[in-house]
Parts: sequence; C-alpha cells; structure tokens
Amino acid sequence: MSFLLRIAIYVPVLFLIAAVVVGQHHDNAHDTVRAAATRTMRWLVWSAILVAVMFALEVAFIGW
Amino acid sequence: MHRSRNSVAKGLGWGVFLAGFVPGLLQYQLGQKKRAIAAFVGCTALFFVGWAIVRERLFYWALLTPDSGGSELLRGGARFGFVTALPEMLNFPANVLGAILAWDDSPTGERLWRMPRNLEHFGGWLTGASGMLAAFWSAAGHWALRLRRDGGESPAPPVADPALCAALSWLVPGLGHARAGQRSKGMLLGIAVTAVWLLGLVTSGGHAIDRANASVWWMGENLFGGGSLFAALVTGPWAMLSEPPNLQLGIVLCTVAGLMNLVVMVDAFTVAERSVFPLSTGREATA
Repeated sequence: MSFLLRIAIYVPVLFLIAAVVVGQHHDNAHDTVRAAATRTMRWLVWSAILVAVMFALEVAFIGW
Repeated sequence: MHRSRNSVAKGLGWGVFLAGFVPGLLQYQLGQKKRAIAAFVGCTALFFVGWAIVRERLFYWALLTPDSGGSELLRGGARFGFVTALPEMLNFPANVLGAILAWDDSPTGERLWRMPRNLEHFGGWLTGASGMLAAFWSAAGHWALRLRRDGGESPAPPVADPALCAALSWLVPGLGHARAGQRSKGMLLGIAVTAVWLLGLVTSGGHAIDRANASVWWMGENLFGGGSLFAALVTGPWAMLSEPPNLQLGIVLCTVAGLMNLVVMVDAFTVAERSVFPLSTGREATA
C-alpha cells in the first residue's frame, strides 16, 4: 500500500477517534469538532515524533 | 445518611459488581420482580436461541478452547464456563450451562467445534447479544442502586434511562446521546464510528467481521452491535476464496470502531446520569 494511501486513511481515522475522545467533554457537535481538530494536530505531531524515533532506532541498530 | 448530590460517582462495591453477572439479580434485590424475570428470561432465551445454532462451535471462538495449552486449573474452569467466550461471559449462568452441555475435548468433540454450521454468524451474534443485554440490565441495576443511595428522598428523574441510552448506542452509535438530548453530538459520534467501521469493512472486502476466522478481534468489533449484526446477516456468510490484500487493516479498523463505540456507550450513560448527578469537579461541558 502506498505511503499516500496510508496517510489518506490514517489522518481522517485519527480525527474521527479524536472526535469520540474529546466528545466526552462537550455537549454539542460544533465544540466537539473544533476540539477534535486541535487534538488531531497534536496527535499528528506525536505520530511524526514516534516515526522519527523508530526510524532513528532502525538506522542505529540495523543500518541504512 | 445520603452522600452529596454533587459528589463524584463512587463505586457500589464488589458484591453489586459480581451480582451484575447474573441477569435480573440486581433487579430482584431492588424488589423489581417483573423486571428481574424479564431480564433473566430475555438474556437466557437470547443465549439459547443462538446456542441452538452454534452449540459446540461457541468454544471454537472462545479465549480457551478444549485443545488449548495452559494449566489444568484454567482448562477445568473453562469447562464450567469461566472465561470462555466474550461477551457471553457477561451472561454468566447461561454461559456456564452452555459450557457444561457442550464442552467435549474428545476427538469427536473437536470435530464438532471445528465444523462450520448453517447460520453460525447469526447464532454467534445472538449468544454475544445475550451477554451485552445482561451487561445493560446490570447497568440498569447499578443506576437504580445509585439513585437509591445518592438521590435523596424523591430524586428527580433522569432526562433518559442511562442504561437504555448505552444499549441504544450499542445498536446505533449516537442514538443514546439523541435520546439524552444531545442530538448534534450524537449524530457526530454516530458518523465517526460508522465511518471507521465502513472503511474497515470496505478495505477488507467485507471479511473484517467474521467470528469464525477472527474470533478475538470480533470481541472488540461486537462493541458496535448494529455493525456486527449487519455483518452476521450480510457479509459474514460470504465465502472468502482468497485473502483480501488489506484484510488485516480492515480488521483493525473495525475493531477500532467497536472500541470507539465503547467510549460512546459509556458517554451516553454518563450524559443521562449527569442530568441527575452533575459533576462538581473536573472538566465540565463548555457549551
């Protein structure tokens, strides 16, 4: 599966999961969507950090 | 002496928790005899209608099968219905009876639990639904006990029955929120769960939700009961001639959708619960 297709699935799914998670702290859709967008951005940053660390570990222990 | 109406929910103890595994027992303790009978008969009937279809096959989908390794103690417990299939385990008496009636670790028995049955997807969904129904009756009992303990002399009725809201969300994600008055949020959460579930089903060519082939994953997928019912009736019986290229991705997505719906169910219960016992601490709704 191509990298772009993975991203095309990962990002919307991350947003939908975020909507359910932050939905517990709000009582209407508008506020939930806004909070979910912020949470998705934060999770994407963490995802990028995770991938970078895994890649660094791969390079360090397995090689280029 | 009643605790503060605004106190954060406290547990009701291990006794009440364990009593919740017997459908109707909490209602019986509350003096609600008709509801107790309805709970016990409903859950037991649902289990045995499904069990009549799948019988020994149920243990092929269990966490412990007759040919599992491990300690004799675990296998002995499984033979009498302890920790076999989930969510059937939540309807403990029926699960025990089903295990005693069907457990057979002889070669003949092994053939029987490996042999596919007609309508087995639907039968497996029914036995699973009996466990989920038992859990919702248990939640109803817990709610009634909480209301009795913390609600004062004449507690205000909730905006909707919390256990019913959770049960509705199990079948249709977000419906429980709509019932509790949060329509727009319910619709958003319903779309979120259904979209992830649909993505999983489509990427796997319709084979992601199949109790016979991915029974452990099905336990998570079944937390979206309406979706697993659709799969049991429509996509489950499809023959899989070759493994779809994205089967694993589809299974994971459908399981994630089920776990998302667990959060939705708990939230629907909480929304209805807070109409009587609003939280005075923690993060409150901002809108």
